Amino acid sequence: MNKVTHRAMSALIVAAILFAGLGVYLVRFAIHGGEWATFAANNNFYTSGMLAAGTLTDRYGTILANADGDVHEYAADGNVRRAVYHAVGDYSGHVGTGAIIAFSSKLVGYNPVTGTYGADAGGKQIALSLDSGLCATAQQALMGRKGMVLVSNYQTGEILVMTSSPTLDPAVENAEPPDGSYINRCLNAKFTPGSIFKLVTAAAAIENIPDLEERTFTCNGSLNVAGVVINCSGYHGTQTFEDAMANSCNCAFAEIALELGGKTLESYVRDYGFTSAQKLDSISTMAGSFTRDADGAPGLAWSGIGQYEDLVCPYSMLRYVSAIACGGTLREPTLLLDHKNGKTDLLDADTANKLRDLMSYNVQAHYGAWNFPGLNICAKTGTAEVGDGTSHAWFTGFLLDDAHPYAFVVLVENGGGGLGVAGPVANAVLQEAVTR
Amino acid sequence: MDEIIRISLTVSHVMVPLLALIVLFRCVRSMLAGRADPETWGYLVSPEGTVQPLLHWECIIGRARSSDVQLNFRDIASVHAVLTRNDKGDWTVHNLSRKGGVFINDRRVEGTAPLFDGDTLRCSSHTLQFAANTELHRALQEQRRSVAGWRVAPGATLFFLTLIQILLVLEFSVSKQAEHIVPIALAFAGLILLEWLCYLLIRSMDRSGFEPETIAFFLCTLGLAICATATPGELTFQLILLLAGVVLFFLFGWWLRDLGRVKALRWPMAILALLLLAANLAIGSIIGGARNWIMIGGFSLQPSELIKVAFIYVGATTLDRMFRSKSILFFIAFSAVTVGGLALMGDMGAALVFFATFLVIAFMRSGSFATVLMAVTSAVMAGTLVLSVKPYVAQRFQTWGHVWEDVNGAGYQQTRALSAAASGGMFGQGAGNGWLKNIVAANTDMVWAMICEELGLIVAICAILAIVALAVFTVKNAARNRSSYYVIAGCAAVTTMMVQVALNVFGSLDILPFTGVTFPFVSRGGSSLLACWLLLSYIKAADTRRGGSFIVTTPNPEKEARR
Repeated sequence: MNKVTHRAMSALIVAAILFAGLGVYLVRFAIHGGEWATFAANNNFYTSGMLAAGTLTDRYGTILANADGDVHEYAADGNVRRAVYHAVGDYSGHVGTGAIIAFSSKLVGYNPVTGTYGADAGGKQIALSLDSGLCATAQQALMGRKGMVLVSNYQTGEILVMTSSPTLDPAVENAEPPDGSYINRCLNAKFTPGSIFKLVTAAAAIENIPDLEERTFTCNGSLNVAGVVINCSGYHGTQTFEDAMANSCNCAFAEIALELGGKTLESYVRDYGFTSAQKLDSISTMAGSFTRDADGAPGLAWSGIGQYEDLVCPYSMLRYVSAIACGGTLREPTLLLDHKNGKTDLLDADTANKLRDLMSYNVQAHYGAWNFPGLNICAKTGTAEVGDGTSHAWFTGFLLDDAHPYAFVVLVENGGGGLGVAGPVANAVLQEAVTR
Repeated sequence: MDEIIRISLTVSHVMVPLLALIVLFRCVRSMLAGRADPETWGYLVSPEGTVQPLLHWECIIGRARSSDVQLNFRDIASVHAVLTRNDKGDWTVHNLSRKGGVFINDRRVEGTAPLFDGDTLRCSSHTLQFAANTELHRALQEQRRSVAGWRVAPGATLFFLTLIQILLVLEFSVSKQAEHIVPIALAFAGLILLEWLCYLLIRSMDRSGFEPETIAFFLCTLGLAICATATPGELTFQLILLLAGVVLFFLFGWWLRDLGRVKALRWPMAILALLLLAANLAIGSIIGGARNWIMIGGFSLQPSELIKVAFIYVGATTLDRMFRSKSILFFIAFSAVTVGGLALMGDMGAALVFFATFLVIAFMRSGSFATVLMAVTSAVMAGTLVLSVKPYVAQRFQTWGHVWEDVNGAGYQQTRALSAAASGGMFGQGAGNGWLKNIVAANTDMVWAMICEELGLIVAICAILAIVALAVFTVKNAARNRSSYYVIAGCAAVTTMMVQVALNVFGSLDILPFTGVTFPFVSRGGSSLLACWLLLSYIKAADTRRGGSFIVTTPNPEKEARR
């Protein structure tokens, strides 16, 4: 009988399994409860698959989206509706990364204690950090061309402008939506970066080439790398590193990339977050890509210039220039008003400050400060050749202005030259931004 | 007016989980309070004067270390003899040795022989003097036993449970199920009446242990709430089933009182179970992918639920038979046929439940890990074989852990269950206000998520803990049990229930593969409900506290003194 009595304990093994399983569930519930509860099949606040509760506003209280039962409304102004379409999303769920989906658990007032109890009473109002008027300005400045504009406050991380083109008006039936209009180019696309990528190559050069500032780089309009000719935008002659950056000299940066070697360059691209998916609040962004060619090969030279197989998600570039503006430590961006995400040490402080000075010099010495009247701007242009004879126009940087600490990324696809095409878009948006 | 309803609803949402915690806490405290140290029923005295107390009603004498009375000599078999005591106080010796033999007063024992106070018991060459404990000692011991329910009044616990039931009716009256409030209120009134009648009946039998019943009624309350929200048309039927379950509980419990007649019916029970199984395989209908239903005149019966009870009935055994190879082979053959039959039907969940129960019984009976390991290996091999021929089951294994990748296909039910469960939070959406009930099999396979959704996570966790409490109670009672039969049956019963809980709850939550097993007492299903009440009889039969269980016939010393 002793044996039987002792062995009775074996029944408790199953009890232990029960506790373990319950523990697994509770952990998952704590982490994913919000996502589960706002899964589109939850009839409590989805009517025929559409969220039926909650209100989204911009930073000034302008309603951007409102759901109550089977009534769904968007912003009153058509330009605003089109401008914030990708950031806000739509109730049909066409934009997978929109705020309606990303913040649905907040919209229905989910919390682990009361669940979604009371969600049928209209849900919650959430203020986004977006400035919807500024978004409209940005969208209009794109003038129907494909592209995107991102503007954030690099001190608080709040995103003021997130607009993507082509776009559409969610308030009207769109029988044939323009191709690609469901994609948020700010978060969920990657593009050849061209010369804006030299900011990354430059960071690696600053930290790995000891005599960089004493060095000169000679440009004869082209460079022969293992039998392949690398063309430059001009004939820059002998120049300092500072001027090579301002000239956006391909010969100089090809030389630097070859000197750094593929492994070093790749590690910088990776460490700065360009090749991994980032999180904007709970929204996953697209990872960029970088292919390392053999040391000494022309591919490596091109990849240091932002060509070859380099692809960058605009959001990653916003993080990078924000980090430079902040002296290396980035305040992670957010789409929510008065919400602060954590900080990330992205760059070394010295490197960040040197890059900042280079970007300031770019504008002062080469781009022409008169193009950006009244703005203390630090920037880098990009004209990325995309292989079909056209090029993507990029303009990215930040304002060195404590009253208006804005970082920005502007892209006009197949638009032409960075300074001439993307520069004016950035200027239009920033001129309005500093008046607010 | 609306404001009053809103506030009282909020109060009710908080009160129901709170009361559930109180009910559970009181039951657990009452069940686990008190001593469970061994008692002495007799003595064996060696010629040198060493006194070995007999601490159980069934004791092994042998060379093995685990023997109750160890005689570490080479001419003693590892299990040499078994002493058993019946509830009248009569002792019997069972000779299990092949060589050496057992003698009472120098007369060789062939098979079994009665043993009386003062007899000389000889195992091979070793003599022991047997002394039964005196009537006085026994009576004293009886009195020292902790009394069921003396610390936590069972009536008060039941009163708290009744409050839960009343609050649930109030919640239903303002819920989306308000149109059905009359049958709902009547059903709950019936349940309250039934549980109090049951309580009075127990008290009239001079018993004060009512915790396992209270736990069962708590779970049945959740079951009735699920019925009210998902299938209000079946409320009357559910109540009748409940009544039938309680009646069966008392009848079966009464039957279990006498170990003699229990043992006599093992073979017929096994044959009955196999006949049911065979009938099921032959004329069963396929519902939900498994051929585990028999339709009889409009009623659907799930034989595997009832076979479960028979399985434990056959599997549990008394010590004197435990070591007979005939008995072991009989049980192994019976288990193999049963589990194999269930696997053939495609009832993977039931086969798993049976198998886990088999493991516990096998381990308690034979006790070698090697045996259990072999059993696991053969089951895994057989399981793989079944999986390879049953695509329906195999698909469920493939879906496991990937439900969110196919929310409208293979992960349809689990994703809905998770979503609904999460939206309930801690306190739920309120009885009758859920939507998960609209999903197929919500009130059976995903019933735990339904509780989470409507009554909240706290109540749902209480439901799991309630079953665990029964298990801990049964294991604790093992130390001073009358017969290994009751220990094994009790442990097997709680194992069955817990495995069902694990498969049901974690299957619907994508922590385990979704196998479609019922949650004891809560899931919809008549056969399951009846089987659970029958299983509760086993748990109740293992309760040896003074006045604990109507299934234990313990003479009342006060009454005897008066006589």
